[in-house]
Amino acid sequence: MLVRLINRGRDIILDCHDTPPKTGSFEANPSGRRQTSKASSGSPMVRMEDCIPALRRYAMSLSRDRDRADDLVHDCLVRAIAKLHTRRNEADMRAWLFTILHNLFVSQSRRRKVRPDTVVLDDIHSEAASHRASQEDRLHWRDMLRGLDRLPEEQRTVVLLVSVEDLSYAETAAVLGIPIGTVMSRLARGREKLRHYTDSDARPAQRRIK
Amino acid sequence: MSDPGPLISEDDLHAYVDHLLEDDRIPVVERHLRENPESAAQVAAYSAQRDALRAAFATEALEPVPSHLNPYLIRQRLTSRRNAWRAAAAVVLAFGIGGSGGWFLHGRLASSNSVITVLVAEAVANHVVYTTDRRRPTELGAEQRDDMARWVSNRLNRPIAPPDLALAGYHYMGGRLAATSHGPAGMFMYQNEQGVRLTVFVRPVTNGGTRPLEIIGAGPLEGGAWIAKGLGYTVVAPLPAGELEQLATRVQHLVESAT
Repeated sequence: MLVRLINRGRDIILDCHDTPPKTGSFEANPSGRRQTSKASSGSPMVRMEDCIPALRRYAMSLSRDRDRADDLVHDCLVRAIAKLHTRRNEADMRAWLFTILHNLFVSQSRRRKVRPDTVVLDDIHSEAASHRASQEDRLHWRDMLRGLDRLPEEQRTVVLLVSVEDLSYAETAAVLGIPIGTVMSRLARGREKLRHYTDSDARPAQRRIK
Repeated sequence: MSDPGPLISEDDLHAYVDHLLEDDRIPVVERHLRENPESAAQVAAYSAQRDALRAAFATEALEPVPSHLNPYLIRQRLTSRRNAWRAAAAVVLAFGIGGSGGWFLHGRLASSNSVITVLVAEAVANHVVYTTDRRRPTELGAEQRDDMARWVSNRLNRPIAPPDLALAGYHYMGGRLAATSHGPAGMFMYQNEQGVRLTVFVRPVTNGGTRPLEIIGAGPLEGGAWIAKGLGYTVVAPLPAGELEQLATRVQHLVESAT
């Protein structure tokens, strides 16, 4: 598993890409450009294993409930393992797993017909908060998560897949089964609403543009 | 602002925030941002959003993955469940057909040996039931190794301890007392780094004499059994026959050198 820790303030990235971090030349782009095409390595089971931390994170960001999130990941893995031998093209294990997980979440949510419970940030991330984050950061994260909860689910999932899970727009479109243009419009609407909710403009910009 | 420059779309700004912009577009967008404070504020806000979300969920992906999400164990459970009926059928046939058994378990060596066949069938049945148990595969865990040894020794009326297979890459998980139609048996469970579970099964055998190690296949599992000093031993794991034979031989040596 490739764990990339970029100690730039508090930016922690963990993914199952085989993408080495590239250094960006521009200040506003500190973590470098992402590569969207990555070489797959290892057996399918190994690559599946590498994706589990990201799947748990995505399941947690969707459900906001540790047990439900892990149940989702478990069901996702059971399905994936049962279908593994039928897959000829294993080019993108990660997008495939996210697709299965997302579909499970959607069908379960329909059955429950409830929105995920809102959990305050401190409950979820007490450890991270106490170790690394300032009070200001924590308040900011909490605002951000509250804002996220207010977004319609279709926008929330796009914002999460793109911003947190580092999926490309094409991968996001594939996972959600929608055209790429729809991804872009949901992303734009979601981000603009989130900006409005959290009133980011009132805060000093974290990244200054030259 | 005087020079409109190349057209910058909303999508370009998002791609810039997400580090997904084509390399040759980056300077174009950056120039646009320098000249358009509104776009720059928009990009700064989206970048801050992205950072905050990543930071908020960062710890989720750093937590250790619990064992019930181990894909190797999940695969093993799926395979075991699918083949549980076969193993169960093997046990029924082993007891029902007795001496003439062996046609359902394909013996690697000439399997005319009904005692060995019965030992493997018993061990396989218990292996299938307990190694797939999510919550309680063992009754006494690894930290109660001595208690486990005492328990089995008391019930089988002779000193028996779980063999140490750490050097072979199998770590002791714990054990339990198992039931057979010939009375109680001791069962010790092990697991390797890949999550493969192996069990060592031991019970007294009366009038069994001494029998050499024999490997018998039962569906996805292989079992290796032998009889020494009035005790029948069986090693079971979902491994190729050759690999299982090596491990069973190792257990055999460990048991011999201990007694």
